[in-house]
Amino acid sequence: MIPELPNMLFSTGRSVLSKFGYAHFENGESRNDWAEMWEHLRSDFPLPSGQVPSFDDLTVPVQEAASDYMKIRLLADHYLDECERLHVKIFNGSIETDVVEDYAVARDRYEDSVENFGEAREKVQKLLMSKAA
Amino acid sequence: MAEWKTYDKGDELPEEYKKLLLNLMSFQADSEYAGAQRVAENMRFAPRPEEAYRLSKKVMEEMGHGYYVWNLMSDLGVDVNSRLRELVTNPVNPDPEKVTIINGFRKENWSKLFECWEDVALFSTVVTPAAVAFLGQYRECSYLPWARVNVRIHKEEYGHLAFGVWASKRCIEFGGEETRQFMQKRVEKFMKVGLGFYGRPSQAGDKQSAMFDKYYEYGIKVKKPEELQVEYLELLESRLKEVGLEMPQGVEADYDMRVGYEAAELDDQVSKAVVG
Repeated sequence: MIPELPNMLFSTGRSVLSKFGYAHFENGESRNDWAEMWEHLRSDFPLPSGQVPSFDDLTVPVQEAASDYMKIRLLADHYLDECERLHVKIFNGSIETDVVEDYAVARDRYEDSVENFGEAREKVQKLLMSKAA
Repeated sequence: MAEWKTYDKGDELPEEYKKLLLNLMSFQADSEYAGAQRVAENMRFAPRPEEAYRLSKKVMEEMGHGYYVWNLMSDLGVDVNSRLRELVTNPVNPDPEKVTIINGFRKENWSKLFECWEDVALFSTVVTPAAVAFLGQYRECSYLPWARVNVRIHKEEYGHLAFGVWASKRCIEFGGEETRQFMQKRVEKFMKVGLGFYGRPSQAGDKQSAMFDKYYEYGIKVKKPEELQVEYLELLESRLKEVGLEMPQGVEADYDMRVGYEAAELDDQVSKAVVG
């Protein structure tokens, strides 16, 4: 369980992300339902729907790039959870340099993973476009 | 550029300087956190995965800015935990006696601006350049710990501007010319807010000017509203051009939104700055 602040802002945000496949996992848990995750992400590409096939219909190189794209997303989900845990820790404790720095490190990881997610999307997009050309 | 006496962590601060400094720091810290809460509310407009994740990233960054500045205020004897507590437990309507939030980040003002994802994209394209210019001045202010923190904050505010450009271009990429025209019509409402961000141009003898003069004299604010306006308009024009939108002409600043830190008179502001 993710500890919650006494407002709904983070849980509402996660519910928006869950429309795109976000799921919370406890330590050690993972997922490999690539085809199902892909369905949540097909809207990310500014291409006609026919150019964004289901995961099973992707060629192997596109499947590999799509898997990387989804793995990075899973990593982003993990780092988001870590950021939210630290928000609760700060709220329940105190705003002090150590925990503020811990939060800065956690959000750097999250921010980098979101940037990487965007770059991975562009790679998949290029492959999808070259297949359609 | 003018020269000011500078202060570092642990230095004894003149009483008036400390009050004025804490006034602006509390406005920045409380507003960064409250602004993040407003951005979090806008998650509901995110139409696609990357948009949702990038907006969520922005929430985390803005909250981090709040923590940075609160942490410095704590060094100056302010009970910052009570400020966080107020914002977390009353995100919709925090008590103005307990936190100092710029009016534009109060939910009743903010909500009127947003009806769709295009508005979210335009806010970061059209209003954020004003924040970049306004907060950028603190990098050169006379209280060095705050100046150093604002170097990082300023860099990330530039990132938020890049987010706005990216999100606006994506809207047009997906929606085509019809969406571009839809967005063009909405630029003006955000530009009014951007123009009002840094306060009215100073005029000799008025109260606003007297207040600004105090901040300027101490090197807490280092740029005049006129200078900030020039920076804002240059940034805005270049970013609108990048997106494929035109800069509207003859737009009047909306000072009633009072997004900047000039909302109340000096005495009222200072009385709210909690000095330990």
